Amino acid sequence: MSCVRAALLARGLPRGRAAICSAILPGAPFSQVSPLLPRGLHCSATPYTSTKSLVPRPSEPEKKPGKVPAPHEELFQRAPGSARDKASFVRAVQSFGQHNVRKRGHVDFIYLALRKMREYGVERDLAAYNLLLDIFPKEVFRPRNIFQRIFIHYPRQQECGVAVLEQMENHGVMPNKETEFLLLQIFGRRSHPMLKFVRMRLWLTRFQNVNPFPVPRELPQDAVELATLGLRHMEPDLSARVTVYQKPSPDDTRDPADSIQPHIVGIQSPDQQDALARHNPARPLFVEGPFSLWLRNKCVYYHILRADLLPPEEKEVQEIPEEWNLYYPMQLDLDYARSGWDDYEFDIDEVEEGPVFAICMAGAHDQETLARWIQGLQETNPALARIPVVFRLAGSTGELLAASGLEDSRQSQREGQEEDERVQRQQQGQS
Amino acid sequence: MSGCGLFLRRAAAARARRALVALTASRRPLRTSPQSRAFAKELCLGKIEKNGVFPFPEVSQDELNEINQLVKPVEKFFLEEVDSRKIDREGKIPDDTLEKLKSLGLFGMQVPEEYGGLGLSHTMYARLGEAISLDPSITVTLAAHQAIGLKGIILVGTEEQKAKYLPKLASGEHIAAFCLTEPGSGSDAASIQSRATLSEDKKHYILNGSKVWISNGGLASVFTVFARTEVADSDGSVKDKITAFIVERDFGGVTNGKPEDKLGIRGSNTCEVHFENTKVPVENVLGEVGGGFKLAMNILNSGRFSMGSLSAAVIKKLIELTAEYACTRKQFNRKLSEFGLIQEKFALMAQKAYVMESMAYLTAGMLDQPGLPDCSIEAAMVKVFSSEGVWQCTSEALQILGGSGYMKDYPFERMLRDARILLIFEGTNEILRLFIALTGLQHAGRTLTAKMNELKRGNMSVVMETVGRRLRDSLGQTVDMGLTGDLGLVHPSLEDSAIKLEQNVFLFGRTVEALLRRFGKPCPQSIVDEQLVLKRVANILINMYGMVAVLSRASRSIRIGLRDHDHEILLANMFCVEAYFQNLFSLSQLDKDAPENLDKQTKKIAQQILEKRAYICAHPLDRMS
Repeated sequence: MSCVRAALLARGLPRGRAAICSAILPGAPFSQVSPLLPRGLHCSATPYTSTKSLVPRPSEPEKKPGKVPAPHEELFQRAPGSARDKASFVRAVQSFGQHNVRKRGHVDFIYLALRKMREYGVERDLAAYNLLLDIFPKEVFRPRNIFQRIFIHYPRQQECGVAVLEQMENHGVMPNKETEFLLLQIFGRRSHPMLKFVRMRLWLTRFQNVNPFPVPRELPQDAVELATLGLRHMEPDLSARVTVYQKPSPDDTRDPADSIQPHIVGIQSPDQQDALARHNPARPLFVEGPFSLWLRNKCVYYHILRADLLPPEEKEVQEIPEEWNLYYPMQLDLDYARSGWDDYEFDIDEVEEGPVFAICMAGAHDQETLARWIQGLQETNPALARIPVVFRLAGSTGELLAASGLEDSRQSQREGQEEDERVQRQQQGQS
Repeated sequence: MSGCGLFLRRAAAARARRALVALTASRRPLRTSPQSRAFAKELCLGKIEKNGVFPFPEVSQDELNEINQLVKPVEKFFLEEVDSRKIDREGKIPDDTLEKLKSLGLFGMQVPEEYGGLGLSHTMYARLGEAISLDPSITVTLAAHQAIGLKGIILVGTEEQKAKYLPKLASGEHIAAFCLTEPGSGSDAASIQSRATLSEDKKHYILNGSKVWISNGGLASVFTVFARTEVADSDGSVKDKITAFIVERDFGGVTNGKPEDKLGIRGSNTCEVHFENTKVPVENVLGEVGGGFKLAMNILNSGRFSMGSLSAAVIKKLIELTAEYACTRKQFNRKLSEFGLIQEKFALMAQKAYVMESMAYLTAGMLDQPGLPDCSIEAAMVKVFSSEGVWQCTSEALQILGGSGYMKDYPFERMLRDARILLIFEGTNEILRLFIALTGLQHAGRTLTAKMNELKRGNMSVVMETVGRRLRDSLGQTVDMGLTGDLGLVHPSLEDSAIKLEQNVFLFGRTVEALLRRFGKPCPQSIVDEQLVLKRVANILINMYGMVAVLSRASRSIRIGLRDHDHEILLANMFCVEAYFQNLFSLSQLDKDAPENLDKQTKKIAQQILEKRAYICAHPLDRMS
């Protein structure tokens, strides 16, 4: 039975590597000279995408009208009234062991379980992975002589083991001693899963904290909280204050872009406030955006309030007041020329940019919403009322297009309006 | 690595000493001008200005008798009638104590005699301060009254102002306070917000503003207040400048907050003072209109020197208290006084007290010289050294007593709390270090620039001198500044220390020159912003000033045969050796690319921490999996 299933499954698989794996009878003695070496063993460093996962995908439903369930699918059938959680996942895995004392088809089952993990919300659970590895029969796949060791012993099983570790790696789960013990028992010291394990132990630790700006693992669901997180993520100044200028209307919180009243969350630091107060009112400010920011798998968009760089002739030279410091001279006017003695800096061409005065994230990217943000800003920055603000909203960024096709039409409509309004507004600003 | 650097420096210094004795000796000038040039500034040029420093300043027998007569009753009063513990607990100086202080004349110590004060010289003021220092709260109250509060009137007040205010202030009928600090303005005079506007009839200034942390703010009836006023410049433009005013509480609109609850000096009164539409008559402007900034600087600079003698007196007292404990308490059948680690602490306290005293009285003596010499650097050095010394010594004294010292039954915890303020007020030590270093460097820079200009102009004698000096430096020459030898100013038993000082001074002069060459021009970063460099320069200067002070004092003691001068020699030599090696280390840190210099790392660590505003490292128990 499982043989037939495997064959059926094989047709749907896109990748040759996977096809080879699944064309072989599970658990059956295996020709040890494989014509194609499984490349997957060595590609652990490739970036994670769903297509590159080692776990074979089940056949696409639309290609096959008659849906064939994957082997052991029935074990993951939802029992009425039970939630999909860790307990039910464990139960499903355990029931496989009970129903199938000889562990027939365990490779298929493990692949299936790996795919199901996300549904059960255990994809970051080390214990669940260890449970899966525990399904492998022990001692059977360990190479016993030099030839077995030279050629890959039980490649399908080894590849399955690597797939488990790969999925762990993709979710940033660090294997522990128990994993090591299981792998040793199953595949032996000099096997590909073990190699993968050792590499993971080495590199996961080194890469875990490689991001100096860590993003929490669980992103908040609430749009306002997410925006706050994103703004804090971008703003280096810790004294910056986040202000919620407008809360999303409560009836329509699920899709903030659609709500009548989109949320507006802004951030501004005291330094930015000071700079804005000193800004020359004759020079306009610009609201620009939307720019995208990725937080894990979510993309949020933000707008900035900025000004052009002052031309050098208008820059105020900061003078040292004559009577400033009560205790010590603030400058020594000596004629000594500083030779390049203590100047170790590299010759870097620094491009100065205009100042950014505030950042905001809003549920909608139209001028109406952003104008409300500017109004809110005026409360804390009275100077802003005197400065013309020009809205330069780029229609849609590439990522915005990719994010959802549905939004496109709406976006383009809006763009048309914005274009008109912008022209008007600019004329007003300049007059 | 640093040890290696030290060794090289010492070798160089020793080499430098060997030759050329004759030349400097023959050039030793016989100065006839009574006005000595500022000592500390000359140190920055690698010279020791001996005039005014050697011999150690003395007072005449009459003055000494006078001081002793003054000091005796004050000391008696403080020992018998002042209950420091009660003052600390209740946070207030009892009224009868204040009355007694007034009757002793302690509120007018530096007020000239014609205005009813004692008219003490700086030296005598320092001596009397020792007696007063037995209670820090009273000391601070008195210092706030006369070292800063009424100092402005003495310094720049008109005859009318002096006649009107000084007699009552000297008698203690009125208490003075000095109102400079504001919520947004500590050392930054530009952010002073208080404002005085001239009334329409030009007879009054209307004063508005708030001042914080005003010592005696609740007791005082006469305030020296600094506020902004509009001043017409010579070119007609109107500028905001700071002006000082004498403000009486009776002018109206003066209120004060409730006394602050402080860590130490709890008996002194510190509070906020608010001025609301206070009408100040025009004749109460202190000094010139717009001249408040300079006046404030002068007052602050002049008030500092006395801290040395006060601190020394505190340490002397500490030694008495702890020595008794150490000589009676027994552990393992041995007295505490037999343990080396305890003995070390006593040596430290004695040494600090000795150096402080020497520096304080040397400075006081310099200040008492005719012609109002500018000793602001020296005073600042005394303040920095003594405040840090007294903090260290109180801590060590408390340590000698162990657990008992930590208890309120003993006075040590109170003294420790009281000593902490010394590092903060009258200019924090950090700021004063910058002041010391920058003022010194400014002087050195100006002199050296002048010399450079001479060189450029082709003045042959300067050219020859410079070339000659370079040549001598490169050949390796000796340093002899005339402290030692047959005609030396320092007693032979201190010769080694004097040589060490000369070496330090010589190397310091060279280092300053190199520093100025490295950081002289203001771009991209001038030496003003190299605070870690400045800190070292200041530390070296303070150490060298201390060395000079102890050498001068100990030499005098030996020569006139004061009792126990052998002990003084021990202390002086000990300090000089310690300071010498500290200086060598600091000097080697000031070299370019010195391996001892960790400034870059220090700054980087601080930057990273301040970016996150927290301690960065993971907990040692954290794991990766």
